[in-house]
Amino acid sequence: MKKISRRDFVKKAGVGAAGLAIGSSVLDLNKAFAQTSRRRTLRLLQWSHFVPRYDKWFDPYAKAWGEKHNVDVTVDHISLSDLRSTFAAEIVAGRGHDLIEFINPPSDFEPSVLDLTDVNKEAEKKFGKQVPVATRSSYNPDTRKYYGFCHGWTIDPGDYRKSLWEKVGKPEGPKTWEELLVYAAKIKKQLGVQNGIGLSQELDTNMAGRALLWSFDTGTQDEYERVILDNKRTVEAVKYMKDLYDKTLTPEVFAWTPASNNQALIAGRASYILNSISAYRSAQKDVPEIAKDVYFSPALKGPRGTGWASEHVIYVSVIPKFATANADLAKQFLLDLVANYDRAVWESELYATPSFFNAPVPHGERGYPLVRGAKHVRDVFHAWFDNDPFALPGEAKGKLLPLKNAEKWSANIGHPGPANPAEGEIFGTFVIPNMFARVAQGKQSAEDSVKQAAAECRKIFAKWEAQGLIKKR
Amino acid sequence: MKPKKHFFDRETVLAPLLVLPAGLYIVLFVGFPFVMSFVYSISNVTVGNPNFKIVGLQNFTAILADPVFRTSLFNTVIFTVVSVLLVLVFAHILAELLLRDFRGKWLVRFLIMLPWTAPIALGAVGFLWFLDSVFSPIDWLLRDVGLLGKPGALLGPASNLYWLGRPVLAMASIILVHVWRLLPLGTVILISGMNSIPKEIVEAAQMDGAGYFRRLFDINLPLLFPVIGVTILFATFFTFTDMTVVWVLTRGGPPPNATQVLASLAFLTGIEGGDLAQGAAIAIFFFPVLAGLAIIVLRLVKKAIVT
Repeated sequence: MKKISRRDFVKKAGVGAAGLAIGSSVLDLNKAFAQTSRRRTLRLLQWSHFVPRYDKWFDPYAKAWGEKHNVDVTVDHISLSDLRSTFAAEIVAGRGHDLIEFINPPSDFEPSVLDLTDVNKEAEKKFGKQVPVATRSSYNPDTRKYYGFCHGWTIDPGDYRKSLWEKVGKPEGPKTWEELLVYAAKIKKQLGVQNGIGLSQELDTNMAGRALLWSFDTGTQDEYERVILDNKRTVEAVKYMKDLYDKTLTPEVFAWTPASNNQALIAGRASYILNSISAYRSAQKDVPEIAKDVYFSPALKGPRGTGWASEHVIYVSVIPKFATANADLAKQFLLDLVANYDRAVWESELYATPSFFNAPVPHGERGYPLVRGAKHVRDVFHAWFDNDPFALPGEAKGKLLPLKNAEKWSANIGHPGPANPAEGEIFGTFVIPNMFARVAQGKQSAEDSVKQAAAECRKIFAKWEAQGLIKKR
Repeated sequence: MKPKKHFFDRETVLAPLLVLPAGLYIVLFVGFPFVMSFVYSISNVTVGNPNFKIVGLQNFTAILADPVFRTSLFNTVIFTVVSVLLVLVFAHILAELLLRDFRGKWLVRFLIMLPWTAPIALGAVGFLWFLDSVFSPIDWLLRDVGLLGKPGALLGPASNLYWLGRPVLAMASIILVHVWRLLPLGTVILISGMNSIPKEIVEAAQMDGAGYFRRLFDINLPLLFPVIGVTILFATFFTFTDMTVVWVLTRGGPPPNATQVLASLAFLTGIEGGDLAQGAAIAIFFFPVLAGLAIIVLRLVKKAIVT
């Protein structure tokens, strides 16, 4: 057998590498040529929806939209937890997707995305006024820029097990935070089933904590984006949470993930949770007898009658600056999606809620049973919430009725101000869950914990003010 | 006539050429990100805005004043020191066992190596279920044998131990999973070290009447020191910079940051919080600590080899 010398090896490897390089550049040239002669491409990046049926509808819908507009549409679904890091990498690379859909307000990306004031104004002209929770999650009043376009959101009601609440004399479920404390404590003591509000570093705890603060007439910031956390009402809310933990919860909630309250409800181990209707939909599929026992309550009212719940999911799409060439397509896609929002609501099994309730319902076959007299998305939305088309056979009617006017008691992150980047960082680094948990665990007094959290908030606000994304006041 | 030397036969050409791929790899995938991290750490860059200006040591002073950073640093030290100590002890025991002949040795070796071959995220997800607050099979077993879940039970009357919900148990859990993951590496390194100890020395000591512990402390451990040094170095690096186990099991919780380590805090601050500069400052904090440790351990190892 012929021996290969060092010289031969290096020479042949060099020739091989050069050949590969030339070959690949020829292929690249061919590809580039092919691209210039091809029709345009619109690339979408979004999360894998909690309701798989939505993606099964959305992907072919996007393709069909592309066919109609002579565009190739690709839809890439990735895990929710990878969205921010993927988009950040695309920004640094200066290339990537043309339209990215977040499910929390991506306000810190404002310097790298296009101002979508035009498409937002156009949408309001065509479909009527946007719900405030959507506008506050996509518009920066300080820079007067729409960094995103919010086509929909998700309601975050209370989900309770009626049979348990019946046994302690409150069949209609809690209406106030005080009732939640009193009756959930009775359920735990008498029936051994705990309440299901988390106290850990996760999304649902973040939302629950904010709902409690807002309902106690406080919050992290006011409408002028000034930190207001350090006040007596926050202390009152933190003390309430300590009481709620002592009487209705167990240390289990310190370890919860976003899926834990759903799992606890479905497993019959929670009397009340704060979550979207997806927990109920999962129960319908997996444990129908539990689903039939799950009912809903609107935002719980605080000691002075105020009641707010957080939005559960907010769909905000952005167009990066590097995708300017395809911005016209992306904007048209968004407007057409709003025009078809009756389908989005239907295919998400009522999980998605429209930002533009007055968008007209298109004529013709819509892929769902005809709703007589429905002219606007609000009409079909109300009809479905009056009588849930996805209810199980034999299930009580009108269970979703309490959620019909949810836009009146749903708030954005940062309420009563906008969802600015400081609020995003406070949310992302779990300042509020930690504030509540320190006291629930007995590690700090309510006063000290609130002071610490307020100091953290002020530091975060100062950083983003220095970035110019929040006005110094 | 002296044959003409080909261009590629020259050592001055061939040697750098062969080293080039490794050098390129280090520059591109280690050097460049390291330089970028350093630049980011002295800047005001955010996730949403890659344009930045240099702000000096502002991020470092901010993180040093942050109680969450100090908690995370403390947790990282506890996580690393306890994990490395446990890996050393268990790896030594396993290595001793695996050097002996017994039936089914191949199966034991295979099972010990398994955690190293499986992706850590997969293993951690398995442990997440194992340590679940409600459905933990460990709790189920403890309840079944009467140690948990009834009045007067040794581990308390609650139905669960809440492994990931109680600060001390949560830290113990992440250490346990990390030790499970690193044990194969430590064992393999120590087995190779033990195999290199000259048998005549051990046999001579045995003949002179030296017992197991005498041989362990006077012969095995001193001769194994260079290998133990390498094991400490690897185990420390893998633990100090790891966030997978923490992120999958506790995400830094239970609140407030009971298992938050520097790696997870850097991710939380830099990516989830959007403050990439401060995230980079936290991450770059690893460098002087780990570089210092590497220098000390490698010097000690070198000294041990020479003497």
